[in-house]
Amino acid sequence: MTSLLKALGVALDGRLNPTDLDLEPGSLVALIGPNGSGKTSLLRALAGVEISRGQVIIAGEDAALAPPARRPSLLSFLPASRDLVWPIRVRDLIALGLVRADSKRIAELLDQLELDAVADRPASELSTGERARVLLARALAPSPQLLLLDEPLSNLDPYWVLQTLGLLRETVTGGCAALVSLHDIDRVEAFDRVLLADHGKIVADLSPGAMLASSELARAFRIERGTSGWRVSRS
Amino acid sequence: MNRSIALLSAALVVLMVVHLVVPLAPLLELRRTDPGLATLLLTEIRMPRTLLAAGYGAVLGTTGAALQATFANPLASPDITGSSSGAALGAVLGGYWLGISDPLALAAFGAGGAGLALVALLLLAGRRSDSAALLLAGVAIALAAGAATSLLLALAPSPFAFYDSFEWLMGSFVDRSLAQAAAALIPAGLACALLARRARALDLLALGEDVAASLGFPPRRVALEVVALSAVAVGACVSVCGAIGFVGLIAPYAARRVSRGHPGRALLPAAPIGALLLVVADLAVRFAPAGRVIPVGMLTTIVGTPLLIWLVTGMRRTTTRRFAP
Amino acid sequence: MPAFALLIGARIASLNLCTDEYLLLLARPREIASVSFLSQDRAESPLWQQARRYPANRGSIEDVLTRRPDVMLTMGGGGRATRLIAARLDIRPVELKAPNSLDDVAINLRTVAALLGEPRRAAPWLDKLAQLQRSRPATSKDALWLSGGGQMLAPGSIGAQWLRLAGLSQRGLPGGRADLETMLVRPPAVLVVSNYRSAQVSSGQRWLDHPIVRQAKARRLTAEGRRWTCLGPLMIGEIERLRAAAR
Repeated sequence: MTSLLKALGVALDGRLNPTDLDLEPGSLVALIGPNGSGKTSLLRALAGVEISRGQVIIAGEDAALAPPARRPSLLSFLPASRDLVWPIRVRDLIALGLVRADSKRIAELLDQLELDAVADRPASELSTGERARVLLARALAPSPQLLLLDEPLSNLDPYWVLQTLGLLRETVTGGCAALVSLHDIDRVEAFDRVLLADHGKIVADLSPGAMLASSELARAFRIERGTSGWRVSRS
Repeated sequence: MNRSIALLSAALVVLMVVHLVVPLAPLLELRRTDPGLATLLLTEIRMPRTLLAAGYGAVLGTTGAALQATFANPLASPDITGSSSGAALGAVLGGYWLGISDPLALAAFGAGGAGLALVALLLLAGRRSDSAALLLAGVAIALAAGAATSLLLALAPSPFAFYDSFEWLMGSFVDRSLAQAAAALIPAGLACALLARRARALDLLALGEDVAASLGFPPRRVALEVVALSAVAVGACVSVCGAIGFVGLIAPYAARRVSRGHPGRALLPAAPIGALLLVVADLAVRFAPAGRVIPVGMLTTIVGTPLLIWLVTGMRRTTTRRFAP
Repeated sequence: MPAFALLIGARIASLNLCTDEYLLLLARPREIASVSFLSQDRAESPLWQQARRYPANRGSIEDVLTRRPDVMLTMGGGGRATRLIAARLDIRPVELKAPNSLDDVAINLRTVAALLGEPRRAAPWLDKLAQLQRSRPATSKDALWLSGGGQMLAPGSIGAQWLRLAGLSQRGLPGGRADLETMLVRPPAVLVVSNYRSAQVSSGQRWLDHPIVRQAKARRLTAEGRRWTCLGPLMIGEIERLRAAAR
C-alpha cells in the first residue's frame, strides 16, 4: 500500500534532526515526548509552516509545490494555541477552513462537536474548551488527506477527550491519516502507532503497548512504570 | 455584505456631490454671471478637493484594515503605526530641502518615509506583539517623525515653511490641483487594489500565523507586502494632503461590523466607510467660524480620540473574558 | 527685474498678509480685487482700516474667484498648487519673494507697480528707501530687538538690516533667543521691544512682562510689531521713527 505521507530528511536547524516518516492511509498516529523534544517542530515542518530541509510528499504530491488553492485538501495543521483576536462567529471561523462555501459540511461539524448552541456567537468570547473544539472543526472541515494536530486534547474535559478521539478515529477510517501530538501519554492506547521524540529525533516507533513498556520511553521521560502507575526514575 | 457595500457606496456618492457643490451660493452666482468660470471652479478647484477627500479616506480605510489584520491588532492604523507621520517627513524633506516639486516624485518620497516608519515599527514592536507594545512603538515613531518634520520645516530655506507645518501635520485639501490628485490617487488606488487581493490571506491570519503559513500564505511575506503597499498608498496621499489621523482606525472597525469580524474581508467595505468619514469631516470644517481655519485632521482627531479610548477599554474587557476557564 | 507686460487697469488679488502690503500701498481702490483676511485684523496690520474696504480671502483661490482678478499675488504656500490652478483659470499667478534683503523689498515694489501698469508708482517708496540707505548712521548702538518669549532678529537677517538703518546693531546671542540672564548681566544699550499683540495673554508676553526684562538697564524703544511681521515697505516709516528716537 502506498504511503499517504512520505517524509524524507525533514529537518529544522537546531530543533529537528533529519527525520524520515511514513504514514499509511487510515492510520491514527500519536507523537509523544518531553517538553522541547521537537514534537511541535516536526509537525510544523511537515505542515510547511517553516521552510525545512528535506521533502514532504502527501498522497503523491510534493507539499512544497502545492499552491494555496490546493493545500486545504492536502493537509490541515492545528496549532496548540487557542488565542483568537477577532470576534468571528463560530460558523464563519469553521468556514475559513473551507475553500468553497459548504453549509452542509459546517452543519455536520457543528453537530459532531456539539457547537450548535454557540454557532452564532463570536468564537473569541467562548471558553478555552469550546474554542478548542471550534478550531478542531476548522481543521477537519476540508477533509484533508493529512491531519497534523498539536496537542488537540489539551483543555478538553474527559468527555471531550473521548469524543475527540472517537471523531479522529472515524475521520481516518475514511482514508486519511492523522499525526497527533500528546502530552498525556496514557492516551496512546487509542492510537495505532506511537512515535517518541527526544532531543529533536524520533527515538522509537512502536505500538502503544510496547511504547508504554519501553526503555526508550523511560529514558526520555525519566519516569518508570511501577505497580500502581508511573513514578519518577530512581536511576 | 455586498448589500451593505452597495448602500455605503451610494451614500458616499451622494455626500461627494454635496461636498462638491457646497458652498452653493458662490457657485450659483458664478453660473449666472460667468458659466465658463463656474465650470472651471468645479473642475479645477472643487473636484480635486472632493476626489482627494474621498480617495484619501478610502486609502486610510483599506490600509488601516490591512495593517490591523497583519498586526493582529485592532489598534493598528496608518497614523498610530507612525506611517502617516513618516510619509509627511519624507514629503517635507523632498519638497522643502531637495527642492522637488513634481507631485509624483513627492509621492515617492512620501511612500519612502511611510515605508521606513513601518519598518522601524516592525523592528521595535515585532509583528504579533500585544497592544501596549504596538501602541507605544507606533506613537513613539509618530512623535519622532512629527518632531523631525517640524524641525525640517523650521530650518527650511523658505521662511514660510514653518507656517505650512499645520497643513502637513494636520492635513488639508485646499487648493490642490487635478495633477496632484492624480499623482496621489492613481498610485494609491493601484496599491489598494493589490491589497484587496490579499483579503483571503489576511482572513486566514485570523487563525494564527502558523495556520496561514501551512495553507500557503507565509506571514512574513504577507506582512512585507502589506507594509510596502500601505506605504505606497499612504505615502502618496500624505505627500499631497498631509497626515490625517483616526480615519484609518475607525473605518476598519466599522468595516468589520459589515464583514462579521473577518479582518481580511473588511478591506473592501473599509474603503467607502473611510471615504465617507473623511468627506463628512471635510464638509464640517468648511463651516468653521469666519477667519479661522480648522485643519481637517484636527476634527478627525477630536472625534477619533474618544472612540480610540472606547476601543481600548472594550479590548481590555474582552481580554479578561478570553482567559476565563 | 522680471519683465512683465504692462496691464493697464489690472485687478489684483493678494492671498498673503505680506503681499497685501504692497498692493494696499501701491494700488488704487478699483485695482484691488481682494486682500487676505489678516490685513483686516487690527492686531495684524497697520493698514487694517484701508483693508476693510475690500473683500477678504482666506488664502485660497476659491475665495477670490468670484472677484475675477487678473493677477494673484502669493508668497510661500508649500503643498498647495494655488499658482498652477490660477494659471488654468486664466489668472496670472505672481509669487513675490519673501525678502532676505532690502533689495528684495525694492524688487517686490517694482514688480507690483509694473503689474499695475505704472512702474513709477513705486518711485516714492524706492526713493525713500534709497535715501534711508544713503543716510545710514556711520556708528550704531548695541541693541536687542525683542518680541514675545525673548525672540530676536538674527544678525544679518533682513530684520537686522532694517534695524541697522536706524543706527541700531542687533546683537547675536547663542540660541537666537534673549534670556533673562543676558538681560540682567549684559543688557544692551538699546532695547527695542515689539508691541505685537501686547495686550493679549500669551506666554511670550509674560516673558516681556518679567521684572528683569521690565527693569533692564537699557534705553527702551517700542517697535510697532505689526510692521515687523513682513519686513516690507511699511518698515520705511518705522525706521525713520526709530532712527529719530534712538538719537
